[in-house]
Amino acid sequence: MGFLGEVLGDALDLLADFGPELREVLGLTLVVSGLATVIGVVLGVPLGLALGLGRFRGRTLATVLVNTGMGIPPVLAGLLLLLLLWRDGPLGSWGLLFTPTAMVAAQALLALPIAAGITAGAVRGLPPDAKEQLAALGLPRRTAGLVAAREVWPGIAAAVAAAFGRVVSEVGAVLVVGGNIVGETRVLTTAIVQEARQARFGAALALGVVLLLIALAVNGVLTWLQLRDSPA
Amino acid sequence: MSVVLAEVAGRLGDGRELAVPSLAVAPGERVVLFGPNGAGKSTLLRMLAGRLPAPGAATWEVASSAYLPQRPYMFRGGAGWNLRLGLDGAGARRAEELAAALGVAAVLGRPARSLSGGERQRLALARVLARPESLLLLDEPLAALDARDRATVARVVAAGLRGRSAVVVTHEHDEAAVLGDRVAVMVDGSVRQVGPPAEVFALPADDEVAAVVGVGNLLRGTAAVVEDTLVAVDAGGFVVWGLGSAVAGEAAIALFGAEAATVYAGAHDDAGSARNAWSGTVAELRPAGRLVEVIVDCGARVAALVTPGSLEALALRVGSPVTVAVKATAVRVVRA
Repeated sequence: MGFLGEVLGDALDLLADFGPELREVLGLTLVVSGLATVIGVVLGVPLGLALGLGRFRGRTLATVLVNTGMGIPPVLAGLLLLLLLWRDGPLGSWGLLFTPTAMVAAQALLALPIAAGITAGAVRGLPPDAKEQLAALGLPRRTAGLVAAREVWPGIAAAVAAAFGRVVSEVGAVLVVGGNIVGETRVLTTAIVQEARQARFGAALALGVVLLLIALAVNGVLTWLQLRDSPA
Repeated sequence: MSVVLAEVAGRLGDGRELAVPSLAVAPGERVVLFGPNGAGKSTLLRMLAGRLPAPGAATWEVASSAYLPQRPYMFRGGAGWNLRLGLDGAGARRAEELAAALGVAAVLGRPARSLSGGERQRLALARVLARPESLLLLDEPLAALDARDRATVARVVAAGLRGRSAVVVTHEHDEAAVLGDRVAVMVDGSVRQVGPPAEVFALPADDEVAAVVGVGNLLRGTAAVVEDTLVAVDAGGFVVWGLGSAVAGEAAIALFGAEAATVYAGAHDDAGSARNAWSGTVAELRPAGRLVEVIVDCGARVAALVTPGSLEALALRVGSPVTVAVKATAVRVVRA
């Protein structure tokens, strides 16, 4: 109990202190993962609505790609982006490598298929009567998408939460394209890696607790929204 | 020039056969698809609405339509918002007027999910009738309504269809009579007979159609006397008493089954407690399964079902003088 007690004590001290370093890492994490989620949702939800509702050429292929994208290892997404952004790569001149912008892009790449896939699933799960009615109303495609989105909004809220949960907890992509530079590109997950590697377990655990609290907060809000909506 | 011209035969995805030898709907005409559950009425209607591909279609020309699905769905949101979905400003105003005529104006401020089945149905009807298309495809428009509301709603629907073409699915005789200029009877996926309701109900093309339509007698006329729910329908001098709702002096339809009619040999003034007793002569004898359908000409053509035994006992043949009696309680009267 001695070792674990010590680790726990350190962690609690750090949390109680909540110093500038921790605040900075937390801030960057929320900004990077928040922006990535927004981008992923803005692009992914309409894509998911189209995949779930539409009938168009290439829908099956697009669905397979999205489903694969939902399970892509973050480190691979990071690697692909790294190749693009590398000094001699196609987008090397942009000079984005090891910047928060690159981290947002990498995580958006991960968030997009999650948002699209879960949205498509929610729309496909609409009752047959709802789909029949939606078609019968003869709405313009955009309006039909909005009506469907409103109908399955708890599913879309789940998609948003899942996308955020995915990106805020991943290490691989931000590590590869961000570089884990102190004060510049260090986020909660990469900081945990760093602290653990240097055997500062108390600090690693404190960061882990913060990460867990973020997940708890996001899912708490989501659950509250869904319960409030469900009929009594 | 037809709004619908369908000639199709083929196998559906679920293995059922669909056969429509010919279905044509002229501009302004209302055709009822009539038949038992599972006959393929809704399937055919969904094809007309473009929701299902027609299998191996030989001819398939359908004007753009407004479609009322069998189970209208209300989306998350207000009832009024649902009512206006897919309608432009003028359409939305029409829909609100129709909603008022259908007695659901008061529910428009409520969440659509809180509405009863009947309220949803009426809202969906108001919405589809407000659409600008000249062809309406209505699947069981009066389903989910209780008997009290059906007559009112049927009148609003009939008014909404005036001047437009429609294909209406139903398995109710009175709906078919009120909403259809012609009836297309479907049995086991095929359209077996198409004709005016009176003709189809009185003269089914074959045993199976007879088993489906069952009714036998449909007479159009004017409500001559209305005593509470007892109504006398005058069909060109031929008077039928029945139960139902009608307004004196207005058009009405009387329906009764051939099995409800009793045949007596000779002319009788008194036929027990039956309000309706008509003397005439046998015009036709038609086999109807194990029974025989006796068509009696007594001012109107009335169909009665008898057993072969009775036929023999009464010594009925074409030209025999007979009396046909029907209790008024066996006759249904609806407003036309």
